[in-house]
Amino acid sequence: MSWSGRLAALLPGTTAADKEGTEPDPRFSFANERTFLAWSRTALALVVAGLGIVQLLPPFPGVPIGRHLLGVPLIALGAVLAVVAYAEWVHNQRALRHGKPLPRSIMPWILAATIAGMAVISAIVLLLSATR
Amino acid sequence: MTSASDDTDPEKRDPGLAHERTSLAWTRTAISFGALGGVVLKVNVITGLLILAIAPLVWQLGRLSGAEASGLEPASITRIRLITVSIVGVAVLCLLVALFGRSAPGALR
Repeated sequence: MSWSGRLAALLPGTTAADKEGTEPDPRFSFANERTFLAWSRTALALVVAGLGIVQLLPPFPGVPIGRHLLGVPLIALGAVLAVVAYAEWVHNQRALRHGKPLPRSIMPWILAATIAGMAVISAIVLLLSATR
Repeated sequence: MTSASDDTDPEKRDPGLAHERTSLAWTRTAISFGALGGVVLKVNVITGLLILAIAPLVWQLGRLSGAEASGLEPASITRIRLITVSIVGVAVLCLLVALFGRSAPGALR
């Protein structure tokens, strides 16, 4: 499916038609809901970490924008994670209704990329700060 | 998948703890909002109070799913959407505070 098609499938107009198939076992729906909530908390944790870095840490000597370089991407990724969690909840619920295998989650990929990216940025900021 | 018959439906035979686990997950999420609100409170009081106010609402949403326990109704898409929108909103607020708020350097020292 194209990206625009994927996005359009998440809009309220289309999700309202999500009554096809059979109502899944409530336990499966509950599990899907808990997965969504767990990712939501992860998203909130990213936001709080980003804000803490920008506002509460002492500035890096010699790198005035260092804290923003670390914190702003974390906050933005928190928002991205929340939206992707919603998209996956919708897709999983659809798969459950039709008795199809669950689509593969891209969340682990996003999280791994985030952590790797943050590690690289942290290393650069610290090195710049140390060489000043 | 569910069967119409009460005897063969495992959920009816043994409701299990799925519902309780989900209720607890909602509570944890509400606490997360509260924790974030507490941190933001240190930086910007109004934004912090705004985020703190979301926590009881999320908790209430979780209780809503508790009230439906008798009918064993999982969350509707509206509730999932509400959480998504509030997290994105909170992220935008925090971004604004991070970019334009007066920083309190060394507050963790």
